[in-house]
Amino acid sequence: MIVRHLCVRQSRQLFALNRQAYNLRRFSSVETPTSTPIETAAQTPTEEPVIPVPTGDALQFSTAAQSMRRAAYKVFKQKETRRSQFQRLGTDLSKPYNPEDIITNPPHPRDITLELLLAAQTHLGHSTSRWNPQNSRYIFGIRDNIHIISLDVTAAYLRRAARVVEEVAARGGLILFVGTRDGQKRSVVRAAELAGGYHIFERWIPGSLTNGEQILGHCEMKVVNALDEELPQFNGTLKEQAAALKPDLVVCLNPIENVVLLHECGLNSVPTIGIIDTDADPTRVTYPIPANDDSLRSAGVIAGVLGRAGQAGQSRRLREAKLGNVEYRTVLDRSDTLGTSIAEIVDEGKKRR
Amino acid sequence: MARQSPRGVVHAMQSVRSTTSLRAFLSQRSAAPAYIIPGASLSTRTQQWKNARGYATEVQPAAPEIDFAKFHTQPTRIIPRSPAYFSGSPKFIDHLLRLEDILAKYVSLPTVSAAEAPRKAWFKLPQFRDVVGEPIATKKYKGLLKLLQRLNRIDPNLMPKAVRLSLDDFIRPGNPYGNKPAPATVDNLGRARGKGKRKASSAVVHLVEGNGEVLVNGKTLVEAFPRVHDRESATWALRCTARLDKYNVWVAVRGGGTTGQAEAITLALGRALMVHEPALKPTLRKAGVITVDRRRVERKKPGHVKARKMPTWVKR
Repeated sequence: MIVRHLCVRQSRQLFALNRQAYNLRRFSSVETPTSTPIETAAQTPTEEPVIPVPTGDALQFSTAAQSMRRAAYKVFKQKETRRSQFQRLGTDLSKPYNPEDIITNPPHPRDITLELLLAAQTHLGHSTSRWNPQNSRYIFGIRDNIHIISLDVTAAYLRRAARVVEEVAARGGLILFVGTRDGQKRSVVRAAELAGGYHIFERWIPGSLTNGEQILGHCEMKVVNALDEELPQFNGTLKEQAAALKPDLVVCLNPIENVVLLHECGLNSVPTIGIIDTDADPTRVTYPIPANDDSLRSAGVIAGVLGRAGQAGQSRRLREAKLGNVEYRTVLDRSDTLGTSIAEIVDEGKKRR
Repeated sequence: MARQSPRGVVHAMQSVRSTTSLRAFLSQRSAAPAYIIPGASLSTRTQQWKNARGYATEVQPAAPEIDFAKFHTQPTRIIPRSPAYFSGSPKFIDHLLRLEDILAKYVSLPTVSAAEAPRKAWFKLPQFRDVVGEPIATKKYKGLLKLLQRLNRIDPNLMPKAVRLSLDDFIRPGNPYGNKPAPATVDNLGRARGKGKRKASSAVVHLVEGNGEVLVNGKTLVEAFPRVHDRESATWALRCTARLDKYNVWVAVRGGGTTGQAEAITLALGRALMVHEPALKPTLRKAGVITVDRRRVERKKPGHVKARKMPTWVKR
């Protein structure tokens, strides 16, 4: 739409005014006043680096674009080094708090101290009016109308939960980490990565356990040996016969929003670990961890500890597998059709040899 | 517990217990198992192995030999292929996390503006759904596209190979931006041709250098458009660039009414002018000459009085 229409359509007088202006311009526009500079992409490489004389095949590849790219890269590197040099000037900070540490280097279960938990704000509960009286045994007291969670209880329950995660991982269980609040994504993914588990950071699709065939049916699975190496010869059988998998342990960072998930876990007798704030219902989960679930730092520390526990369990399992020990029920021990058909494939493989 | 009772008795008891259980175990699994098949009491057995103290007088049973060639091919577990299995769209989430990792790694690289970044044709959502084979919500795919666009804005001279390769995974096949139409040129008689449409009208303009004469379907501008406003509209491309007295214009326009015809001419004239002077494009864009108004009259529907209007409700 042409903007000028707006004023012209408003009044005839304005329009007349416009025409007069036009006439003047018409008379004076012998020389065209519009400056239309031709825009050329003038990319000046700041400094052409001294390129060593290439020999043979290398000569063909050193095109102009490449030299430009190399020059730009060199300038960028120079800037970076200069910046890093300047950043080192000034005060020396010892042990600065780095929020990334919770993600990159989360604490081990052995590092759980009351100081750590206090620093991570795990003791802060909810306003006293919002409390769930079932949590009274985890509550230390009241301050500023807020329930304060007892840190020694938190530490004890966290250690117990870590132990559970470690043992499940050591027995080859599938551990699912769930944190669907904003900002919990990275700690959930990191914990799953450490523990060799699985993650959900968006919505839990209701029915993933009770109606897994429909919802998770298209997701791919694989058969592995005790050393976690994939065995591709079973892929066909898996596609035809395998039902959707269920986790063996669910770690939920925000049980209040994931009631459906916890209910499904209860129906399928999947044990659950959850962060129970003072307003949450502790009977929803199997292994509660009384702590603050609203602080990302608190949830991050707890997820990190559990992730580390899972990591220890996985490494223990693999260590045992290298010695030839498998301390859990394998596929071949299953009595269902899938177990028997996999056993048949294994037997056929033996016969061929 | 053990320490409180007399030592000798405890030792004797322990050795007897461990040997009996082991004997039973060995007789049960005499066929040299590839690995220990876990039974109900396996954990207690291994516990006893670990706890049993060795004595010189006892015969230490060797652990069953492991056939590692077989051990490697022995299936133990069925596990998901992706850590995002339980989300219902594992491949999509894996892509998303991979791109986020890459962005976090290269976030400090300098970027160019979106206009300067190389134009890429990303997968359309239905295509991407086919590629991945999962139901993906529009909003989530938009998030992924934002990530891709951000990565694509990294200075092309500094873009690492890893980024380039991962971006290529999301480009739809058959380069849609590859075959560009050849730029229009002035013909050997000095004419530039432009077409434009507005409402129901379509106009074809031939533009030559001259002294400002305009013919619309063989008539002068004043004859063709009695309203001054329409005249202004038709010649707006020349007027806003102060070229009105520098070109002669021949117009063939059909269809529609006067307003539609006038504004179709505006568009056609702007396009023809850009053939002569491509550098005028920013000015013309600001003047609103290049932008196409593609609105058309909405069709009338059955059951409606007009396109949307419903008949008046009558009680009976």
